[in-house]
Amino acid sequence: MRSADLQRGPDRASSGVGTRKCEMTVHNLYIFDRNGACLHYSEWNRKKQAGISKQEEFKLMYGMLFSIRSFVSKMSPLDMREGFQCFQTSRYKLHFYETPTGLKFIMNTDLSVPNARETLHQIYSTLYVDYIVKNPLCSLGDPLQSDLFSARLDTFIKNLPYFNPRAA
Amino acid sequence: MSLGDRQPEKKHLKDMADEVLFDFLHMEMVSHVYKEQRSSKGELDSKDRAVCVSILEGMGFRVGQGLIERMTRDSPSFKDELDMMKFICKDFWTQVFRKQIDNLRTNHQGTYVLQDNKFVLLTQLSSGKQYLEEAPKYLAYSCGLVRGALSNLGLESVVTAEVSLMPSCKFQVVIQKL
Repeated sequence: MRSADLQRGPDRASSGVGTRKCEMTVHNLYIFDRNGACLHYSEWNRKKQAGISKQEEFKLMYGMLFSIRSFVSKMSPLDMREGFQCFQTSRYKLHFYETPTGLKFIMNTDLSVPNARETLHQIYSTLYVDYIVKNPLCSLGDPLQSDLFSARLDTFIKNLPYFNPRAA
Repeated sequence: MSLGDRQPEKKHLKDMADEVLFDFLHMEMVSHVYKEQRSSKGELDSKDRAVCVSILEGMGFRVGQGLIERMTRDSPSFKDELDMMKFICKDFWTQVFRKQIDNLRTNHQGTYVLQDNKFVLLTQLSSGKQYLEEAPKYLAYSCGLVRGALSNLGLESVVTAEVSLMPSCKFQVVIQKL
């Protein structure tokens, strides 16, 4: 597992075992609020589950990211700008984006996707702000129940250039 | 996040304040009225809910009166009732809700039905049946707006709204003959 902080601009193209063009896809997406509560989770292409309950999985994801961000900023040999942005393994890549208001967007994709920060930012600014913040019936901090939001998010992800529903 | 990411056709509204300001204020108004009622009465029964709706409608009434005064200050006087309703559907609706009414029907005897297929205060809630029971709360103020506007044009009316599939809704205006 390689950590990548201080990333600016597109990633260098991934090379090595297992990066076939037809694998481009988005696996799943988590949204957490500033207190660590998981507001939303969707998956499109997940072949293997974590083996623990969803509640535990969310706690693990949030806790781990909290630790990684703190670690990355402490150990950084240079002044930090954006901080932790993504990590990749030999099979998938995890992208992280935090808004100024403390919302955390985490997306797992395949390896060929360059920095998805812009995508996550778009999800926040066009979908979350429009359909959740502007919905008087969605209280901030509650899990996201708006069907409209889920439907639009699904359409958005499926329209991403790197989304392929039949990833190998 | 950029509030400036609006579609180009909204350019003609460039000298108006950002529309979200009213959207958020309206959301909070509705929430506030219901919270106040709940804190003084405990759980809300249908009579309390009617009180909340009429408070919001009353606010809209006063605002509608003022708005119509301002909007028509430079226009010629209206020929008849239908002309006034068309003004409400086109100019008034565009200024307040950023679009025109999609369909106006009348029985030519004082009853009008204004249909808006994408009512701007409902588009963010849902595009179907979710949250349907809460929708009337968010229409009360707008009913008052229409009633206030008509009142200052000389027409007393009763305005109600109904919604069966969001974000489409119908406003029914019944002109009161004196």
